[in-house]
This record gives sequence, structure tokens and C-alpha cells, in this order.
Amino acid sequence: MDFFRLLLAGVREQRMLFGLMAGFALFPAYTAYADLPFWNDVAMRIMLLGMAAMGLNLILGYGGMVSFGHAAFVGIGAYCAGISQFYGLYNGWAHLALSLGVCGILGLVIGFLALRTSGIYFIMITLAFAQMLFFLFVSLEQYGGDDGMSIDRAEFVLFDLYDPLRLYYLIWSTLLIISVVLLFLVRSRFGVVLQATKNNESRVEALGLSPLGFKVTGYVISAMICGVAGTLFASWQEYVSPDIMHWSRSGELMIIIILGGLATLAGPLLGAVVFLLLEEFLPELLYLIAPDYAENWMIIFGPIMIFVVLFARGGLIGWISRFEAQRIYRQGDGR
Amino acid sequence: MTLTLLLEQIFNGLQSGVMLFLIAAGLTLILGVMNFVFLAHGAQVMIGAYAAASLTGITGNFYFGALAAIPITFLSGYVLEYLLIRHLYQRDHMDQVLATFGLILFFNEMIRIGFGPAALFSNLPPSLSGFVYILPDTPYPVYRLVVIGAGLVCAVGIHYLVNRTKVGAMVRAGANNEAMAAALGVNIGLLRRFIFAAGACFAGIAGIMLGPLTAVEPGMGEPLLILSLVVIIIGGLGSVRGAFIAAVIVGVVDTLGRVVLPLILRSFMEQSAADGAGPALASMMVYLLMTIVLVVKPTGLFPAKG
Repeated sequence: MDFFRLLLAGVREQRMLFGLMAGFALFPAYTAYADLPFWNDVAMRIMLLGMAAMGLNLILGYGGMVSFGHAAFVGIGAYCAGISQFYGLYNGWAHLALSLGVCGILGLVIGFLALRTSGIYFIMITLAFAQMLFFLFVSLEQYGGDDGMSIDRAEFVLFDLYDPLRLYYLIWSTLLIISVVLLFLVRSRFGVVLQATKNNESRVEALGLSPLGFKVTGYVISAMICGVAGTLFASWQEYVSPDIMHWSRSGELMIIIILGGLATLAGPLLGAVVFLLLEEFLPELLYLIAPDYAENWMIIFGPIMIFVVLFARGGLIGWISRFEAQRIYRQGDGR
Repeated sequence: MTLTLLLEQIFNGLQSGVMLFLIAAGLTLILGVMNFVFLAHGAQVMIGAYAAASLTGITGNFYFGALAAIPITFLSGYVLEYLLIRHLYQRDHMDQVLATFGLILFFNEMIRIGFGPAALFSNLPPSLSGFVYILPDTPYPVYRLVVIGAGLVCAVGIHYLVNRTKVGAMVRAGANNEAMAAALGVNIGLLRRFIFAAGACFAGIAGIMLGPLTAVEPGMGEPLLILSLVVIIIGGLGSVRGAFIAAVIVGVVDTLGRVVLPLILRSFMEQSAADGAGPALASMMVYLLMTIVLVVKPTGLFPAKG
């Protein structure tokens, strides 16, 4: 019962995150009512990107490790599904298990080597490992090389994915599980130490703990979450290519986190919502103003990113909580 | 593997290494001296290439286009630093990564709107489009030799600038200890802007010279940027000498790998598979090299900070 008490307290505190999850749970009902099946697809992509960003946020936000290569783990997860199918293994649970294992081991090796460095060097070495993996998959001609390969949706016993709604709820429930795991993780002893290493590593050491062990563990967990997101992404896209692990994808994940709010649980998901809505609506908006340049929406998106970095400290979550703090302050003031 | 092919590829590697050095020279100072993660340096390469290609197209004179593009790249770096970059020095690395990533998107899209998505090709003047025989039976394009020569001249110029001039002394002092340099009366704000503009200018020169060799297209700078980041990490942050040696190593390894690896792979693979996998594996080798350097000597081969 203790678990449920804690869970309930966590849900109450993370209203934003679980509110969003409730919204996603009900969303297909709305799209069915309004006859907009396309938006189910967008919502699935939002949840998958949000999932990967949540994984990255564990080390980027809570652990203060700026990994510039996490798209590689998303890609590895996707290729775990793709290559298994290539050899006739269609069981989605097996793909997920494989992806957890492979990303865990790779995360351990890369994390251990990369975490010997810090600062700019850490950013660059994570980028280097991601590039290595990227070029490895470009070079694997039998798995499609540069062009990638088409795959089928994996077969999930209990969740037959031929109905797109089942894929939707598979992604949704995975995201829910990961949210709950992260909720408990960041409050656990492990999570507190991880956040302490971000603030002051030598003090953690002075307390008799080894920061490296905690950081590597965080790195491994975040790699595994990204791997799961990638495996599901492969089923969603029914196609795997090295493009999914291109370095600009790692940048996108970071943008999503910054946009939503660093080191918050709801931030990555909220960031993914806003990021993909911008991607959907900016071209249309641009079309209204300058029809010839609708496809050049990046010209607005780039400066938006710069403005977010320059002015939106704490991202959307920070903005919302400042707003809320003001409201509470006013109430307390009797005005 | 014949000697001819090997020699040719070594020259190509040298050429690509010299170009990488021009891009990395400014960037290593930006990363090392200012501790600033600047990802939009590839855009400076692109700006240089487009400026040269369009000026050549307008005037019809390659030499004029190339020379007139140089001040443009210097100005673009200067203005960029003034408008945006100086507001980001105090931020953490992630903010810098993201803001300059946004800049990349912006610049690429600007170029796409201004010049269209298709690649520009510029023709070389007849005086540069011939071949010379570097060995009795080995013709080699004159232009590539000119690029190597010009790149080496630039490298010597940069070496002189950094090691023999007063500005260079300030740059080195800044690389070693910025606060101390500032305390001794160096105007750090101005120094940073100068390094930025000069770095943009060198990268622009690389773009100008690469124009006729590669496709001038939006996003052309990014692969070069990533490779020059590798060069900088191998050479050591803030070390111009390290950047030069690392650039030549990376250029030769990358170029030779593309030719030699498929030949090696062919001995135990089908030819088509080997030809497909070789170049990608060669690209991997460069990152492998960087990882080994980082693991064995985390500060790079020639660290600037003592």
C-alpha cells in the first residue's frame, strides 16, 4: 500500500505530467469524433519523442551531463527491431528485451569511456560515439545501408498491432510506465545523489560516494529508455534508417527538453508537444503570410530556438510555475 | 594498390587536411579561448562558398570573386558575434549548443531561400583547370595543388599571427588564462570579437576554395564542422599547432581509408558490398581515432592550457 500512497502523492505533485497523459489517453476519442485519424499519428510521434527526451533528461537535466549523441540509442533501439525482423523474429516483446539489453551494454561501455571526460570534451566524445554508430549503420549494406529498410509492425502478443489504436495505447502505456519509473527514480537515493553530482561533484565524493558509478548508472538507464522509444518508433514508422540517429536528431531531443523545462518530469513531454505542433503548424502559418516560402519554416524555427535559449529560462514548465507562484503570492497577499 | 594511386590519395588527403585546418583554426580558439561551443562554424564555410560563387557568377572573374568574398566572411563573423554570440558567453554549454544549432537552421534556410535548394557549381578559369604531372605518369589537378599551397600559406600566416604578433600574444594569453590576461589590460571583449571574425574568415576561405571542388549547397558546412570538431579534440582545445597536425592526420586517414578499406574488404567480401561499406567504415575510423585519443590523453595531443 505504501507504493500506492507514494504514487498518489507523486501524481498529485506532477499534475502537469499526468494531466498530459490523461489528455493523450482521451485524445483518440476526440480524433474519432472529429474524424482526424492523422492526428493520432502526430500524437504517437509526440509520445515517442517525449519518451526519448525523458530518457535523455535523466542525465541532461538531473545529472547535468550534456550528451550530444542520444539519438544513437534511439537508432539502436529501432535497428534492434529492424534486424530481428530481417532474421524472421517478429515478436515485439523480444525486440524490446533485445533493445534494453543492447542499449544497456552499449550505454555502459560508452558511458564509462565518455564520463572520464567532462565539459566540452564530454559533449564531443558522445557526439563521436553517435557518429561512429551512425556510420556503422550506413556501412551495413545488408540492412539497407544509407537507404534504410522497410519493416512490419512487430507482433506484440496481447497487443495485436494491426489496429493502429492498439499501437497508440501500447506507446501510451509504455510512456506511462516510464513516467512512473522516472517519478520514483528521481526521488530515490540514486536520483538524489545523481542531482547532487550535477551541483557539486567533490562534495558527493566528500560524502563517501563515487560520483562516476552514479553517473554511469544514470547514463545506462537513459540509454535504455531511448532504446525502448526507438524500438516502438520502428513499429510506428514501419521503416528504419540511419537518419534516425543523425546528429541533428540528438540536437532535436535537447531542444525538446529545453523547450519544456530542464530537470522536470513533465518538461520533455510538454516540449515534444510544442515542438511537433510547431513543426505541423509553422508551415501552414507561413503559407498564410508568404505562400512561396511555406516549406522554409526553419527560417522561423531557428530564431525561435535561439529566443527560447536566450529568454525562456526553465522552459515552459518554468514559465508556468513562475505564473503559478505569482498567483499564489497574490492570493496570500489578500488581493 | 599502386604507388600512383597511393600518392594521389595522399595529396587528396593533404588537401582535405589543409581545408580542415582552416576551418578548425578559428574554431579551436573559439572553443579553447572562449570555452564556447559554436556549432554554426560550418555556416561560415557555406557563406564563404556562396559569396565566392555568386560574386564569380556576377563578375565572371574567379579571382575577383574569391578575393572579394574574404572580407564578406570576416564581416559576417564580426556582425554575428556582436548581435548574438557575445550574449551567450556566460551561458552553460547546452545553451550554446542549442542557440548555435538554431543558427545553423536559420543560415541554411536563408541560403535556401536566397539561392534555391539546388547546388551551385562554379567553373574554374582555364589557368586553374589543367593537370600537372607529379610523377611521370601521374596527372594531378592544378587546382587541388593550388588549394594545398594556398592552405599552407594560410597556415603559415596563422602561425605567424598567433606566435609572432602582439594580437597573437594576447590570444595565447587568453587561451592560457583569460582572467589574468584581462587583469594585464587585454580588452577581452574586443579580443573575442576579433578571434570570432578571424575564425569566420579562415573558415570562409576554406569555403571559397572548396567551392569548385564540391557542391555548393545549403548544409554543406555541417559534415565539415563535425570533422573539424574531431580535429580540434584530437589536437587539443585552443591549440592551433595541434589543430594543424590533427587536421592533416584526419584528412589523410579519412581520404586514404575511403580508398584502402574497400580494397581490404574486397579480400573477404563481395565487391559491391565492400565498395558500399568502405567509405562509411573510413568515416568511422576518424571517430575511432578521436575516441582513442580522448581515452588515452583526454586533453588532446597538444593541449594549449598548461
